[in-house]
Amino acid sequence: MHIYIYDSYVNQKRYDSIIAKIETRITDLGLNGKIIRLGVMNSPYNAVENELKKGAKTIIAVGNNNIYNQLINVLAKMSATDSYQCKTPLGFIPVGKKNNEIADYLGVGLEEEACDILSARRTQELDLGMANDQYFLTTAIIPTLGTTVEIDKNYSIEITKKGEIQVINLPIMVNMPSTINTSAKDGVLEMLIKTKPLAKGLINKSLNSLTESVFSFKKLFILNKNLPIILDSVLEVPAPATITIAKEKINLIVGKNRRFS
Amino acid sequence: MFNKDEKTGNIKEAETIIGPSVKVKGNFHGQGNIIIEGSVEGSVKTAGFLLIGDKAIISANVEASEARIAGTVTGKIKIKGFLEITSSAKLNGDIQTAKISIEKGASLNGNLNMNNEHAPDKK
Repeated sequence: MHIYIYDSYVNQKRYDSIIAKIETRITDLGLNGKIIRLGVMNSPYNAVENELKKGAKTIIAVGNNNIYNQLINVLAKMSATDSYQCKTPLGFIPVGKKNNEIADYLGVGLEEEACDILSARRTQELDLGMANDQYFLTTAIIPTLGTTVEIDKNYSIEITKKGEIQVINLPIMVNMPSTINTSAKDGVLEMLIKTKPLAKGLINKSLNSLTESVFSFKKLFILNKNLPIILDSVLEVPAPATITIAKEKINLIVGKNRRFS
Repeated sequence: MFNKDEKTGNIKEAETIIGPSVKVKGNFHGQGNIIIEGSVEGSVKTAGFLLIGDKAIISANVEASEARIAGTVTGKIKIKGFLEITSSAKLNGDIQTAKISIEKGASLNGNLNMNNEHAPDKK
């Protein structure tokens, strides 16, 4: 049984025709299932838990990065509590271009095109990052200003210039230096520290890349008294936070044109 | 002007890059190649290649498989294989290595030991 979890924004009138086309395509492909529309009163955790108890085979997020991140958290938390052998794959039907960068990176396509990807059921098991008790698939981002970082309790990092710290699991919207390999299957996270170039105009692009720093780690402690950490571009987690590679992994339905191997 | 290969010492793949705006304090141990353009206090150890750029300032004991040093290092340096010291390097501390190249202009204060137990056996 397929369970479609609709984000609340897709209930807006302007998405009616898109949703109708998606539902028609789902029917054509024989992927019919139960639709759950999220609102103020129902939590995705309870909805998914109930359906898994009843034997749901696939959970599908219908919306954007926000609902996708929520469902990743739900499935990973269920896996962590060990109440289920939660290997249920998570599918994705992105609606609207806004806040749908993850879908593009996964090669899922938009709206009706995503239904065909769902039908092909090509799955990939990926690592997840964890900031305190929240999971993330792509990045955790915080400005360098007022932030101190300690890695694996072995060494601390002091950043002397303004910029951004990006903790990376799946490198979406991230320009990693060409010498660094990063993967959501290698069991480690990377931290990219980007600061402003030393002198604009005088230094060519290749030297600018050296204003970046990259560290691989399994456990990181971030402290910032004023600013939160942003997970997957949607969820705020207050610092101090411990960021680790999670024990739980996630099974995602991805497209042939995904941008990772 | 520099090109990227000269600047990164032909490193095609690195595990860690410590940029110029970053200061690392503590024991920094890795397995892969490391590029340091910032500053480090404590110790640096890697089983891979270590590149210390000309702006880098290291106050630490350093251990690596091979290394190219262009910056300032205060501390013991222990290299299993080949150590290349460029003209801009300023080294204060003892050096232990199997093979070495020192460019004109480099500054070295310390003992150099090449009776290295790590030197590869000649057949």
